[in-house]
Amino acid sequence: METILDWSLLNSMFRVVAPLLLAALGGALCARVGIFNVALEGMMLTGAFSAILGNYWFGNVWLALLFACLCVAAVSLLFGYLCIHLQANAIVVGVAINFLATGLTAFCLFAIFNVKGQYYDKSMTGLPKWNIPFIQDIPVVGQIISGHTPLVYLAFLLVAVLQYVLFKTVLGFRLNAVGENPVAAKSLGLRVRRYQYGAVLASGVLCALAGAQLSLGQVTLFAENMTAGRGFIALVATMLGQSNPLGVMGSSMLFGLMDALSIRLQGFSLPTHFTMMLPYVMTILVMLFVKDKSYLRQSGRIAGK
Amino acid sequence: MRRINWTEHAKALLNPLIAVLLGLLVGAIAIWAVGGSVITTYAEMWKGAFGSFYFTTSTLTRATPIILAALGVSLAFRAGFFNLGAEGQMIFGALAASIAALYVPGPGFVKIICAIIAGMAAGGLWSALAGWLDTRFRMNLLITTLLLNYIAALFAGYMVSFPLKEKAGSGGAQTAMIDNSAWLPKLFPGMTLHAGFIVAVLAAILLALFFRFTNKGYEIRMLGSNPLFAAFGGIRRGKLMLLSMLLSGGLAGLAGTFEVLGTQYRYIDNMLSAPGYAWSAIMATLLAGSSPLGAAFAAILLAALQTGGMGVERNTEVPLEISSVIQASLILFVSARVTISLIKRKKARTVDGNHT
Repeated sequence: METILDWSLLNSMFRVVAPLLLAALGGALCARVGIFNVALEGMMLTGAFSAILGNYWFGNVWLALLFACLCVAAVSLLFGYLCIHLQANAIVVGVAINFLATGLTAFCLFAIFNVKGQYYDKSMTGLPKWNIPFIQDIPVVGQIISGHTPLVYLAFLLVAVLQYVLFKTVLGFRLNAVGENPVAAKSLGLRVRRYQYGAVLASGVLCALAGAQLSLGQVTLFAENMTAGRGFIALVATMLGQSNPLGVMGSSMLFGLMDALSIRLQGFSLPTHFTMMLPYVMTILVMLFVKDKSYLRQSGRIAGK
Repeated sequence: MRRINWTEHAKALLNPLIAVLLGLLVGAIAIWAVGGSVITTYAEMWKGAFGSFYFTTSTLTRATPIILAALGVSLAFRAGFFNLGAEGQMIFGALAASIAALYVPGPGFVKIICAIIAGMAAGGLWSALAGWLDTRFRMNLLITTLLLNYIAALFAGYMVSFPLKEKAGSGGAQTAMIDNSAWLPKLFPGMTLHAGFIVAVLAAILLALFFRFTNKGYEIRMLGSNPLFAAFGGIRRGKLMLLSMLLSGGLAGLAGTFEVLGTQYRYIDNMLSAPGYAWSAIMATLLAGSSPLGAAFAAILLAALQTGGMGVERNTEVPLEISSVIQASLILFVSARVTISLIKRKKARTVDGNHT
């Protein structure tokens, strides 16, 4: 058992969890203003690609991050325009955006780097790994917490920030109001659309960071479809966490832990197929206990407002 | 009365048509951006999709699983459920069909029938499982169907990597080849198109008639368009949901079955996920606004874009992904178009004084 559960497992969990958590927080923000963001996957993929592209163009990781944020912000504006302005079905638009991202990133990969499959350049540097002074010297804690990319720390910092903003500030109350009852919010004089655009834009930026963590943080390359369903898992984490930053963190951590555990279990004679199933099965089991209230309301099984 | 219907029909056709044109325009911009010739590229795309009898039949072969899965998805959509699990249902259908075709003794047609039954049952039950989790445990169908895809893909991957793995031969993750008496007949000698295409077209017609003329079809439409009214009308959501998910998954399972019986003759790992049939099916459904016949046409259109994209990649410098870009913009335009007309209608209603 010692080889299954040790402290480096928790360290790898944090790494796995960061992109999920960032995207899931983006999803949660959208859900707060009443927009169901299925496009997380596509936004993350765009982020992963544009981060690499930015790094290639500017030769600077931070400019690359900024570039990724701008690119995905543009995608999220498209998503927002269709859903908010033209009132198109968010799921339909989300599915299309995911598909567009898959096609467009592969297309640009070929058009710009002239390669298929994946782009990798040895000279490219990824995100730095930060060792936190003092904490890294504490035996166990240092091993777990220290030595991550800044985006990992940012993800957890954002949980606290968003939790505060959503539940303790006027802005948060307004965002919630917009999601709960847009008509009532409008009659109070809130600019509903502006809040919705803001949330969609913020979720785009968060997904850009999530994608950058994938392509510049964990490895330094872009592979076609490298998000591999993480955006959908983030969506699941959003719903499981009831769009509540702390809840989202909990469900992302659960998923990350299962993921890290499944990699660890492959060392034993278990077939990888079953260990890889673990996060998905676990999520379904957790869903037994955590109900998605907005879903029940939407399908008319809880008295809606 | 008749005239109103005609304009309705024309409008229903006009929207996708404009979307297709706009999609091609976006594609043209992308081609231009990478320095390709737009006209040559589109000419190659057309040739790759319909340029010869051979290419036309391969387009229809590719369309076959998309049509069937799209019918399944549209049935669920009509009932008001977003079934995102077509991929998993196709995979289980294909896996069950190949097991049945391999191990059921008897002549070819018996094997085929057993494989079809097994494939539809496996796809249907996998889909109904998600429905049951919704009715019994109130779990979000969108999420469960999504998660069940991964589980199905991994499980099938395990089955063909270990217990069912081909003993002799190349040793890839695949089952043994099924007996050629159980292969679906080809429609034309030397072409890939198989009898499954005819079944797919018939299924589209039958489903359209089912929605139009049967009680159950009416109930399903009612449940999807106005759940509250359906409840007042005595329609029980849970039971009908299980039924529509069963049928929906069964159609997806059939899509997987035909890929085994008609094209690959065995289950190969990733044979259904790699071409992205399930997402194409969902897009076809969205494109056609969940109408069965429309979904069949949309599936052929999308398949044509895909095989056309392959032709483009073979003969020009433009990569194959151009077709995904066109497909996605098409959907975006359709979703926007439809709502623009909806908003117009809403405005008209407000003018009439019937504001809700």
